[in-house]
Amino acid sequence: MILTAVLCCIPATRFYEIDLPLFRFLRGQNHVDPLSLHLSGEFVESNLGTAREADGSITVRMIAQQYLFVPHCILVPAGVPIRLRVTSADAVHSLSFSDTNYAVKVVPSNVSETRLQFPHPGEYKMPCREFCGAGHYAMRSRLVVVSRDQFPNLQPDERGNCAAR
Amino acid sequence: MRQNPIRSLATASILFLLLPLVVGATSFLLQTSAPPATRIPSNIAWTSETLARASGGDAFHGMLLARRCDHCHGAEGFSPAAATPNLAGIDRPSIWKQLEDFRTQKRISPVMQPIASSLSERDVADVAAYYSMLPNFPDPQDNRSFPQSAPQPAHVALASRLVSTGDGERGIPPCQACHGPVAYRTGAPALSTQNADYIVRQLQNFADNTRSNDINMPMRTIASLLTEEEKHALAEYYGSGLGMLPAAATAPR
Repeated sequence: MILTAVLCCIPATRFYEIDLPLFRFLRGQNHVDPLSLHLSGEFVESNLGTAREADGSITVRMIAQQYLFVPHCILVPAGVPIRLRVTSADAVHSLSFSDTNYAVKVVPSNVSETRLQFPHPGEYKMPCREFCGAGHYAMRSRLVVVSRDQFPNLQPDERGNCAAR
Repeated sequence: MRQNPIRSLATASILFLLLPLVVGATSFLLQTSAPPATRIPSNIAWTSETLARASGGDAFHGMLLARRCDHCHGAEGFSPAAATPNLAGIDRPSIWKQLEDFRTQKRISPVMQPIASSLSERDVADVAAYYSMLPNFPDPQDNRSFPQSAPQPAHVALASRLVSTGDGERGIPPCQACHGPVAYRTGAPALSTQNADYIVRQLQNFADNTRSNDINMPMRTIASLLTEEEKHALAEYYGSGLGMLPAAATAPR
């Protein structure tokens, strides 16, 4: 009762500023600090790109920032369930796929998770669909879907992408 | 039998608090793939505290300290050699971040690393404050290599297009959206008075990963998308002082 009374007196936003294990659990895994993505956690640069989970499913992690998606080219196999996790480092972006009417809203401090599956090999453009600033119209990345046998056999600590570098 | 309302409320609130705990724990266990060894590009995160540290320097003390930078970076912040960067008029956070990255060896330079290590955290902010206040207009008395000779018209056309509109087809954003004068991103220095040789070398280093201290990889990604000719065209464009004019005005019609 006392606990409830105390909790009611704290504005809900205050919870987001307290760094305790309990509050970390309350916030859940989809809360990230947009300013320190590169320092720790899921979105450090060595963890970006396509990862293969133990059950064979695919997880893709991406950062949207002014005015680029990183990695710049995503490589996924066809016919395999894909979990796409995107977050923003600065403004609100929207990740859309060419030839579809599908888009994922990307908001700073929050991870947007989507489940996708591409039946056939092919290539999609992924432009930003939310005006995000002066370079918005050039913010575009690619998604390359290859057949399952062409997809590299990623080890658990390996991340794949098809960016130029 | 009627339950005690206080007890039921307490039970409900405890259950309510425990529910996300359980959800959080299960989702944590489900994350199976082992992440690769973490590589940190730079220790800097642009929080308000960091910005206050980066821009709170004392320019007068910085002026005294900067006398040891004169030999390479020029007495007025314009370098005598085109391969060394000009520092005059570059914003405080940009200079501060590069010095911090040299100090923590996130950006590798055999020349700058010992110099940056000899400065205290306070000194770095002071030096940044001093150079940010230097004017960037021409001085015929000063021994500087800026501006370099004008590039060929084809290179001007190529570069002014990349600077003003980028290349949407390849996903290259315009340079001026972060490096000014249209907009500035924190940590992205102004390029309008930068030397050509320095710019082209940095673009090449970003492309082949020799330099990798850009937070969330914007410059490594862009530099790897640019062709060698485009890198040279952009460097010549800025190095000849065309970057001081609006990009649309420099494009040949």
